[in-house]
Amino acid sequence: MRNIFTVFRKEMYRVLSDMRLVLMIFLLPGISIFAMYWLIGTLIQNQTEAVQQHTIIVYEENMPADIRSSLEGLVDLERPVNMEFHSIDTLEDSDLKEKVREGDIDVVLRFDADFEAKISNYDQAEAPSLFIIYNYGRQNSSFGYNQISSVLNQYQSMKLMERLEDPSHAQIFVTDYADDIVDERQMTGQGFAMLLPFLIVIFLFAGAMSIGPDSIAGEKERNTIATLLITPIKRSEIAIGKISSLALLSFISALSSFVGLAFSLPKLMQMDTNGVEYNIYEPIHFVLILFTLMATVLIIVGLIAVISAYAKTIKEASMLIMPFYLVTMIIGLLSSFGTEPSGQLIVHFIPIYGSVNFLSSIFVFQYDFANFVAVIVSSVVYTSLFIYLLTRLFSSEKVMFQK
Amino acid sequence: MKSLVVKDIKKTFRLSKKQRKIEQTDETKKVALRGVSFEAQPGEIFGLLGPNGAGKTTALRCIATLIKPDQGDITVDGFSAIKASSEVRKRIAFLTNEMKLEDHFTPNYLFRYFSRLHNISDEVSEMRKQALFKRFGIDKFQEVKVSDLSTGMKQKISIAISLVHDPDYIIFDEPTNGLDVLTARTVTDYLLEMRAEGKTVILSTHILNVVEKLCDRVGIIIDGEMKALDSLENVQNIASDQTLETLFFDLVKESAVEEHA
Ligand SMILES: Nc1ncnc2c1ncn2[C@@H]1O[C@H](COP(=O)(O)OP(=O)(O)OP(=O)(O)O)[C@@H](O)[C@H]1O
Ligand SMILES: [Mg+2]
Repeated sequence: MRNIFTVFRKEMYRVLSDMRLVLMIFLLPGISIFAMYWLIGTLIQNQTEAVQQHTIIVYEENMPADIRSSLEGLVDLERPVNMEFHSIDTLEDSDLKEKVREGDIDVVLRFDADFEAKISNYDQAEAPSLFIIYNYGRQNSSFGYNQISSVLNQYQSMKLMERLEDPSHAQIFVTDYADDIVDERQMTGQGFAMLLPFLIVIFLFAGAMSIGPDSIAGEKERNTIATLLITPIKRSEIAIGKISSLALLSFISALSSFVGLAFSLPKLMQMDTNGVEYNIYEPIHFVLILFTLMATVLIIVGLIAVISAYAKTIKEASMLIMPFYLVTMIIGLLSSFGTEPSGQLIVHFIPIYGSVNFLSSIFVFQYDFANFVAVIVSSVVYTSLFIYLLTRLFSSEKVMFQK
Repeated sequence: MKSLVVKDIKKTFRLSKKQRKIEQTDETKKVALRGVSFEAQPGEIFGLLGPNGAGKTTALRCIATLIKPDQGDITVDGFSAIKASSEVRKRIAFLTNEMKLEDHFTPNYLFRYFSRLHNISDEVSEMRKQALFKRFGIDKFQEVKVSDLSTGMKQKISIAISLVHDPDYIIFDEPTNGLDVLTARTVTDYLLEMRAEGKTVILSTHILNVVEKLCDRVGIIIDGEMKALDSLENVQNIASDQTLETLFFDLVKESAVEEHA
């Protein structure tokens, strides 16, 4: 026990006393996650704003005054929509199409010459036509068309009502919605469940991957392992000391990413800074999340430690870990973006998948205590297995000294 | 009971593809030790002498429990290196040129770290550290990271750290290799002191000069076989001009002829 702690402390000290490692493992993940998501959020926001601020260029012919005035008074998300009207004059359809394609014109509206008259004389005349050109491949054009289309729909309903002797006949049925039955907590939770379990597992894995190979394969590569192996320490004590220190370091590293995420989430989801409700969860949920994370990090670190002990160099270790990282990512994606978290007990015995699934179920408040026990028990079993394997590897002269 | 006995150890390595390429051989196995036996007593320096690739390091690694002999055994104070390896590790200091200290730490930190692994209290460790660091001239560098120190200084720190637990058996593989004359002298002087204190010292080398100055008894190992094993005097007497060098040459030549026959 004392030896385990001695190894543990040395491993912690190695990382914590190295400014470069501290930066790389603890600060960089958080800062880069924050910067990345914040940037994405800002870009989305800028784009939305740019579209809103754009002046929509409309070319028209014979536009009824009613429609024109409605368009001029348009408001979107409490901002006036800017439109600039031009007369088509002598321009041909082919020219107009080309200009819309190029983005010089956003929307073309060619109304029949006697558009309003034809509408009024609907029982004698044919319905008037409206020819529209817009380009849904361009955001400004698309946005402009949507705005115009809503005005045209309103205009149509208004004209329809005028045709009926009793306007109330226009109403076919009345819809009435029941009071809010949605559980706000569960809705927010679903958002978390989609994003977080996946990211958490990726963060844990990335953290472990950045230190595990150096701590074990690196000792072989730098020929420092024999110096440790000739002391009376038991191989199992080395294994436990290494795994526990790696677990704590990976955990802190993942936590750093997590803090970065927490701060950038409001921006990413286009909400006010205090828009994301983290406080829908109670202490019990945080306790469950914490234990699940500890269970998960032990499995991940155990796996990485075993691979690193088997590999001859840091490079080889990183290469061998890669496929497992990809599998973990896929597992994360499957359980995050798939269907609702599974409540089946057996699922929770599957390494990593079970933890991700259980995390999702905590986030949506549908967890089962038996499943929690399954996650914890299975991770203890897997971790013991990894410790056993690591001990075997440390005892194997072939693995430790074969050049 | 107080002795180190090596009894008929054999060791064959399986060669990996990469090793076969480096050694330019098609053989999948390399016999490194073909039944080596010797003993070392308290208060003596035993020298293991042999050309490159003879099996010196392999024999010492077997004693240090880093690798297991395929056959035979080694006992240290009666404890088997195979069955009671951690008891053996408690009693020996072991150092080869391939064993390095972790670069990132200071001599101070490493000394305390290895003391703890040897279950030595901090006070005792501190006293031993001061004595050893002073003896090897490390005291000025005790707070400098190993990565920033010279090869010679690193070697001296490795030696000091291998001795944290004041072991009865000191097993050094070519301890003066790569050291300048002055530094080498510090090391050999220390080994003589250890002998005077009644410790058992085993060292390997291919530097005949070192053997002649230090060793009480020598074993000459060639191609995994012990070709001569006796007191320094007796071994020297085998050669016509009574120098170790002549004997060494003759033995190496002899075994080369045997191989061709
Ligand atoms: N881990 C290993 N795998 C395969 N072959 C090995 C291994 N270790 C040693 N050998 C081989 O065993 C033989 C003896 O090697 P050893 O290192 O014991 O020689 P040595 O006497 O110490 O030589 P040197 O003076 O060069 O240090 C050599 O041919 C070496 O290539
Ligand atoms: Mg050697």
